Amino acid sequence: MPQFLVAIHHPDNYDPSIEGEAMQRDISSLNKEMVAAGVRLYVAGLEPAPKAKSLRATSNGEVLITDGPYLEAKEHIGGLWILEVADQDEALAWALACRAPVEIRQCFQKPPQPTDTTSR
Amino acid sequence: MPQYLLANYLPDNFDPSTITPEMIRQINDLNEELEAAGARLMACGLSPASQAKSVHGQPNGKPLITDGPYLEAKEHIGGFWILEAADMDEALVWARKAAFDPSSRGEVREIPYSSLAGGTPHPSRVKP
Repeated sequence: MPQFLVAIHHPDNYDPSIEGEAMQRDISSLNKEMVAAGVRLYVAGLEPAPKAKSLRATSNGEVLITDGPYLEAKEHIGGLWILEVADQDEALAWALACRAPVEIRQCFQKPPQPTDTTSR
Repeated sequence: MPQYLLANYLPDNFDPSTITPEMIRQINDLNEELEAAGARLMACGLSPASQAKSVHGQPNGKPLITDGPYLEAKEHIGGFWILEAADMDEALVWARKAAFDPSSRGEVREIPYSSLAGGTPHPSRVKP
């Protein structure tokens, strides 16, 4: 069964204290529904993007580390689910149920492998 | 033990055929090292950002679904690990190892709430 990343996006100045009890109950209910349906492989909430560290490799082999998210944008991923569902439409149905700005991406079925393994 | 998202970024026009056997060997070696250290909870490669779908809430309550990634940028997450590490510095040690190619671009984010074993459940899930 295909796996999908459903990533919630938050503005960088997102204030978690606006999440009232009703919103927390909704998210909690949705998670229980996902678990009951056997589609939820993983869920995580992330620390705010300004607390991220970013890495850029350089041609001389050094790695530059900077504070903050890698992409220069006003919103960043705030949390994510990995769902196992039949297809992207089913992932989309779950994404709509969370009522937040989200992006859905399919995970590869298999990690990349060398194409010439048979010749070794 | 805290969990960390280690995301790697790829340009939207990334061509997977440019991945050399040497790069695959390096990434497999790193995954084996992460497994041996017990630090890798999950590894996931994503389909290209152009195949993403995005959902935008609307004031009328009918969400708008669009093709493509949510953020308007020239690079997007290509894959990620969920790692378990003592602290951000330890997570960054792994992130440095993952940046083995001059084109490597990554981001590390701490995960305060996670459903995996060893993770902290969100406060709303904790029964009083």
